[in-house]
Amino acid sequence: MAVDFELRTTFFITAVAVSARLSAVLKEAKNISLEAMNAKALVARAGENVRTFKPITDYMVELASDTINLVEDINREALLISRSSLTALRGSEAVNHFNRAKIKSEGALYAHTYDHAYHEAEKDLQQFQLELIKNTRRLHELLEEIESRMLAANVVTSTSRLEAATVSTIYRANFEAIVGKFENAAKNIRSTVQECRKVLNVR
Amino acid sequence: MQTIKLYEGQFHEWVVFGRDPEKNERIIDTNQFMIKTGREAILLDPGGIELFSSMLAAVVHFLPVDQITHLFASHQDPDVISSLGLWDKTLPNATLHAPWIWEGFLRHYGCEAITYNPIPDEGQTLKFDGLEIQFIPAHYMHSSGNFSVYDPVAKILFSGDIGAGLNQPEDSLFVEDFDKNISKIKTFHQRWMPSEHAKDMWIKRVRKLDIEMLCPQHGSIYKGEDVHRFLDWLESIEVGAGLRF
Repeated sequence: MAVDFELRTTFFITAVAVSARLSAVLKEAKNISLEAMNAKALVARAGENVRTFKPITDYMVELASDTINLVEDINREALLISRSSLTALRGSEAVNHFNRAKIKSEGALYAHTYDHAYHEAEKDLQQFQLELIKNTRRLHELLEEIESRMLAANVVTSTSRLEAATVSTIYRANFEAIVGKFENAAKNIRSTVQECRKVLNVR
Repeated sequence: MQTIKLYEGQFHEWVVFGRDPEKNERIIDTNQFMIKTGREAILLDPGGIELFSSMLAAVVHFLPVDQITHLFASHQDPDVISSLGLWDKTLPNATLHAPWIWEGFLRHYGCEAITYNPIPDEGQTLKFDGLEIQFIPAHYMHSSGNFSVYDPVAKILFSGDIGAGLNQPEDSLFVEDFDKNISKIKTFHQRWMPSEHAKDMWIKRVRKLDIEMLCPQHGSIYKGEDVHRFLDWLESIEVGAGLRF
């Protein structure tokens, strides 16, 4: 079976481990959200001089909110994976028990009478494994989505740095600090997500 | 797995399955019983999950699996019924008869298709295919919700953990020397059975029954005079030894 190796390597634990790592992403996304609020306040104070910063702060808010939503989706998906891999594992054990019974009951007059149950167990297992593959694929997609957003955040960071350099010296240091924190949070998120994907790929 | 026909009557028979040579040596040895009529059967304490394949392989020598219409669990222990989830896949139309107090617990083993018949504390009679067997209360012997099974026609009492011994796989399925058997059963009864009062009530109850064979879930089966010797011995010992500590 295609995902037998995953079942053997306690995939349900991996899914939960991925979910646990994502609490760090959530924390960083909240940091981005906070920095975006600071930036917004600063933009309001600085007025016309820094109006080019407004779309950037809006983007930061959107990015933070999307990331938080994505983490929630991932957590939900990880829970589903954990459940479906456990079900698949139990299904695989049932099939193994029936296999053993088949060998032991060779030659028994009524050995064929549990064939239906045996085939049903095999069918269930295939179904559970398909579910597991589907859930895992979705988890990969969600992680990819966060990663690609963080790549986009890099571009925004570069633009923000250029913009920060043009604002009045009174506000420049503040804007640069905000951009720095934003950049750092995006970098941390990307690194955690890459780690998660690596863990999943090992499977 | 050893398979012995204990009783063969006009309409039904008793079969014991035990001493599985393929069993992991670190798990306790168990005896499983089957009462079979012409069209139906009940498995008594069908065993742990580790034993499922051996049990399934053994029963299909006697009957098509769909003729097993009933399962019975004397209590909730894993060696008694942790195979439930697999029987549930094999016998979706069967009924499990087990103490009412353990329903929510036993369902943790997996019980989606099988019907759960909660046996009331006072016991119950089960009729199937013209046969009538009785679920006799054996509460606190050792589990707080526990039943024995009595067949008045075969005169066999399935006693669950009562009479059970910590036997070796090579030991006989029948008690051959009662005095020697005591060494196998003494610790089990003194430590596993918690209540003098429960013990006395159960002995009083089963002394009224006409028993030719007393079949425990572990160890060896008592026949004839050994049944009464066992009841006398059980009456004489002090149980609840764990309370000494």
